[in-house]
Formats: sequence, structure tokens, C-alpha cells
Amino acid sequence: MKLIINDEINNLTVTTITSLLSVLEQPGKGIAVAVNQAIITRQKWDDFQLSENDQVTLFQAIAGG
Amino acid sequence: MSVLPLNSVLSLPSDELIIADKIFSSRLFTGTGKFSDQKIMAEALIASQSQLVTMALKRIDLANQDDDILKPLIAAGMNLLPNTSGARNAKEAVYAAHLAREALQTNWIKLEIHPDPKYLLPDPIETLIATEQLARDGFHVLPYIHADPVLCKRLEAVGTAAVMPLGAPIGSNKGIRTAEFLEIIIEQSTVPVIVDAGLGAPSHAALAMEMGADAVLVNTAIAVAKDPVAMSRAFALAVQAGRQAYLAGLGAQARTAVASSPLTAFLDL
Repeated sequence: MKLIINDEINNLTVTTITSLLSVLEQPGKGIAVAVNQAIITRQKWDDFQLSENDQVTLFQAIAGG
Repeated sequence: MSVLPLNSVLSLPSDELIIADKIFSSRLFTGTGKFSDQKIMAEALIASQSQLVTMALKRIDLANQDDDILKPLIAAGMNLLPNTSGARNAKEAVYAAHLAREALQTNWIKLEIHPDPKYLLPDPIETLIATEQLARDGFHVLPYIHADPVLCKRLEAVGTAAVMPLGAPIGSNKGIRTAEFLEIIIEQSTVPVIVDAGLGAPSHAALAMEMGADAVLVNTAIAVAKDPVAMSRAFALAVQAGRQAYLAGLGAQARTAVASSPLTAFLDL
């Protein structure tokens, strides 16, 4: 499935956010996920079905003042 | 080297600060930016005894993974205060706050909306709009603002948890250039006043506390010091000293000398 992840086109065999994070080797802790600009809360990661051409944005906490 | 809590070293009475749903025994809040490496950052923040540390949010660089900076801070019992740095208006800031809540599982947000990159001065109108929205969304909002007493009252009215007026522009190390207005804010505020930005030396932090600020937030001055860990301790001591001086009640200033010794004429031989 074609997904745009943080502005990069990826072809991945994933269905849910949880499976996407697993494929991307993201631990899930300290990160936030938006699909087509809508924030997906972590309670929905197991169930949320990704679709072709979805724009997925992953955010993480970094150092800052 | 283990560091005893300053209160136990100096035998000070308990003097806790309450903001929203948290109680703080340290009035020094710290930022995590600009440290040369994460090990020094963690050591310095632990040495500061800070219980509230700020962080930012960014898009993950999947090709270049950053280290996990959260682990040592959470292990040290610090509360995380994500910011909305990078937001240029209320809409972006509200979105950033919701992302931060999701990423860090906290309702606390340091609201920063500074569209101008040269001075990073906060936009008061967008900040007020975003504070109102975020308070309605259940956030504890700590907005970074200019030292504007009128804005502070408007923020209180829409449910801000605290106000964070600046001493000088972010990272400038210039100290408290807004003293006259900070005094008015401190006098009038019904929410905690945290002086943020521009504090470049422990003496600046002490001055803010002597003036009656409830807390200060320091990042650059600690992070860029030659020895950030030692500078952290210096700031912690300064904040304690300033707070104690405020509680003790400073003497009034006078234009002329006021003798400290009796001016008797015993040397008139």
C-alpha cells in the first residue's frame, strides 16, 4: 500500500497504525501520529485502518526550551 | 556526587508551589534545549532539582533516529512540559498541543506562539485565542507572553493555569529588562507567575524571585555554560536565595544614607 509518511512515499504491507509503527521500528512511546492531519489517539492505533495514499505524520518529543 | 535537596541543607521551611494539579518544591523550571549532549543535559537537570522540564515536538526523521531523551528525565521524577514552539498562530498551536498531549500523555502545555524568528517575541492575540481554546479542551496552559499586565488578566479570564512573562528575548541572556511590568503582573496576578526567557545568570533568577515571581524557567544559561552541571546548581541556589529574600521581606530603598550604627560623638576627644 502506498503511504506518504512524513512527506516520503513508502510502499508497505501494513493495515493499522500499530502494524505501521512496528514495520518502521518505532517504539510508540513518546510519539504522536496524525493521518491526513487528524490526530489518531493511541487507543485507536490497533483498530485504525490505513488507506491507499494516506498521509501519515509521525511526531516525537525532542529537546527544547 | 549525590546532591541533598537544598531545603534539607539550609533547613528551610516547606514552601511549595501549586500549579493546576501539581505541587512543586523547586521553583526552578528548566528547558532541555541547546545542551551539547544528552548525558550532560540529564546530569544538569538532575543537579538543578527541577521538577518541571520543557521539551519540543518535531516530525520524526525516519532515516536519522534521535536518542530517547525522555527516559532519564522520567526516571528522575521530572514532569514534562511540552511546548508548541514552531507554531505561528493559534490554530497551529492548538494542533501542536494536541499532538504533544498524545505523545507525552500530559495535559500540560507551554504555549509558545512566536512568528518572528529574529526576536521570537510572542504574539499576544494568537496566544489569548489559543489559551482559551486549550483551556476548554482540558489543558493546563502555561503561555509564554510579553510582560504585559493587561494580557495577563485577559489570560486569567479564559482559564490559564499560570503566566510566563519574559525577562528579555529567548536565549538573549540579558536578564530582567521588563522589571517595571513584571512587578505589576506579580502584584495583580491570581495565577502563578513564572518568569521565562532571557535569564542569563543566577543573579537574574534571584532578582525575579526577590520581586515575588513564583518560579523561573531557565534553559540557555545552563545549557551553554562551560560547566552546565555546576551552573544548574548555581541557579538552584539563586532561586532559593531569591525566594527566601522575598519571603523575609526586603528593606525599603532610600535616596540618601540611613546609618546602620549610632552616630554618637564618642570620638570627639
